[in-house]
Amino acid sequence: MDAKDILGLPKNSVTQEKKSRPQKDSQRKPDGISREVYALTGGLAPLIPAIEASQLKKRPPSDEKITWQWLPFTNSARKDNLHLYHWVRIVNGVPPTGDYSFAKYNKSVDIVKYTDEEYEKYLTDPMWTKEETDQLFELCQSFDLRFIVIADRFPSSRTVEELKDRYYSVARAMLIARAPSPGDISGHPLVKEPYNVSLETERKRALSMVLSQTKQKERKEAEVLAEAKRITESRMVARGAEESELPVPSNAGPESAERAAAIPGDTVSPSSNVQHPSAAVAPSTITVDNASILASLRMLRVYLRTYALDQMVQAASSSAGLRTIKRVEQTLQELGVNLKPRVPTKAVCAEHLELRREILTLLNLQKQLQYKEAEGSSYRDGSYADTPGTPKHLSHGGDQDRTFVPDMSFAGERIGKRDQKRKAPGRLSEAPLPAHKRPRKSKAADL
Amino acid sequence: MINSSSSKQIGQDQPATSEPTPKSQRTKIKMVKSEDSDKRMLNKKLKDVEISIPIVYGNVSFWLGKKASEYQSHKWTVYVRGATNEDIGVVIKRAVFQLHSSFKNPTRVVESPPFELSEAGWGEFEIAITLYFHSDLCDKPLTLYHHLKLYPEDESGPMSSKKPVVVECFDEIAFPEPSEGFLVRVQNHPAVNVPRLHTGFTLPPPVPLEDANRKKRGDTKDHPLSQWFMNFSEADELLQLAAARQQVQAHLAKLRRQISMIDGQHQQLKTISDS
Repeated sequence: MDAKDILGLPKNSVTQEKKSRPQKDSQRKPDGISREVYALTGGLAPLIPAIEASQLKKRPPSDEKITWQWLPFTNSARKDNLHLYHWVRIVNGVPPTGDYSFAKYNKSVDIVKYTDEEYEKYLTDPMWTKEETDQLFELCQSFDLRFIVIADRFPSSRTVEELKDRYYSVARAMLIARAPSPGDISGHPLVKEPYNVSLETERKRALSMVLSQTKQKERKEAEVLAEAKRITESRMVARGAEESELPVPSNAGPESAERAAAIPGDTVSPSSNVQHPSAAVAPSTITVDNASILASLRMLRVYLRTYALDQMVQAASSSAGLRTIKRVEQTLQELGVNLKPRVPTKAVCAEHLELRREILTLLNLQKQLQYKEAEGSSYRDGSYADTPGTPKHLSHGGDQDRTFVPDMSFAGERIGKRDQKRKAPGRLSEAPLPAHKRPRKSKAADL
Repeated sequence: MINSSSSKQIGQDQPATSEPTPKSQRTKIKMVKSEDSDKRMLNKKLKDVEISIPIVYGNVSFWLGKKASEYQSHKWTVYVRGATNEDIGVVIKRAVFQLHSSFKNPTRVVESPPFELSEAGWGEFEIAITLYFHSDLCDKPLTLYHHLKLYPEDESGPMSSKKPVVVECFDEIAFPEPSEGFLVRVQNHPAVNVPRLHTGFTLPPPVPLEDANRKKRGDTKDHPLSQWFMNFSEADELLQLAAARQQVQAHLAKLRRQISMIDGQHQQLKTISDS
């Protein structure tokens, strides 16, 4: 306002006028399209013009002289020689030639035709009289194999599948009978894949069932499937982590375990245990990797046991990172086990491999536990920095590289990192839950 | 009909062979059907029957003491023997030891058991031992690598010309699909581990061997160096592994209990927060 005074501009007059006018202009912008249509597009011009405005107006008159005439025509698709009239576009006095343009759409199906002798020879059927078959074929011809319509029109009540079955078996029999040699028609779809009535009936029934399922049923089914999936997955994990407890398997044991593992196909199968009752070890965590290693070993005519063990260890560790592998090796050393067995027989190698797998599972579970504890601490309302209560020797201290260490020293080391709320630093792993947890727990129990 | 006896001891119906008494029998024996099927079977490869030969390879090295010279300070022997000192000549046709290029004729071929090579020298190097097997077993050779050790680990101690430096390595040679002919030849041989065959699957009896005496000489039980051979106990290692596994399994069980406990706690908390 003051600026305008300084500049000496008149107040309010011109600017307001300017404002009102552009608004009206934008609303009233025909440009070849009416205002309402323009508004339909949101008041904005289309990015790409649909119709070139130039096209609408120019179109120079061509050199040809166009007239229209009312002329008679015939349709070759008709059998009755009907003459009708229609407008025809004449160019320079020459009428167009050629058949009625829609005659080419009169397609029909080639229905098999049989003579009476042929019927007697090939086509008799206990379920069908000749009359019925003839009727069926007539209908097929007139309705172009539209079996639903044919079934509707068929005098005696037969299902669509029965009609189809009869038609296709007749066609197939005629094809085979008329063919000069069986080899000629062996590629024909009718011969290769004959119509299967029961399959079709079943399929249609299943389809209608699926179609008529209510939404509730659908939901229930989805739930059941998800549940089944979870169960099978947890079962596989459980089998992977658990092993049976025979400490010294016989030579037959691991060998049959390996044999079971080499059975092509996938992972857990209880049948493999049944086949080899002496198997000490359930070949559970045999992944695809291991099976392929065994297959490749069999390809070699001869190999060293240490080489085989190396390959399998590599396969087992392929899914784990370098750090995890190092931790596994550290654990092995702490347990007093040689990283490379000193007496690598088949049995020893099998045990060694299983031990490695178990250690991997152990490390994974440890990590899982850490995550769950972290989750737990986020559940509680943040007043406590760490989650108390879980036995210390296996839970975290914010320290991911903690390896498999006997309880006492681990607990001792960890205590140093805990916050000041801890009162008794020398607690054993079997200590009872800390006091401040209890009130919370009882609250949960009350509810 | 087929009389198949599966047993770990020697069965009574075993036809007498001129082999030395086998320690353990893991195969079954059956009467021969016909010659033709024999010939076919001999060349047939068997699946799921993996035989293994446990071997030990390494070296024994003696310091020559007073007789040592600059270029010949040690006398050493590198060898491959059966783990139980049985004769592996039944499997191995010849062994080729590839020595350091500074040796004259560095490729040394040993055509019969005991597969060993003795030399004198001063340096440690890697020796490639290539084993060639009998043609009815495998036509592909297998190579082992052994680092020749002359000097004891503990360098500070005095070197004794009486006590050698011994380094041995245990391994198993595995043949995943041996031919039946070979199996027939070596069934009951103490150097070869033949797994228990499927029930109903039997082998024809072995052809009597030509010379039991010759075979006897191939083993290393009375070898001059046998007093230095190391002992490899599979049982010890298995026990050790079993103990380790038990420990790990116990911890796994504990972890699982903890996890399920935490899950329970979380569930409770969830129901509280949801309500």
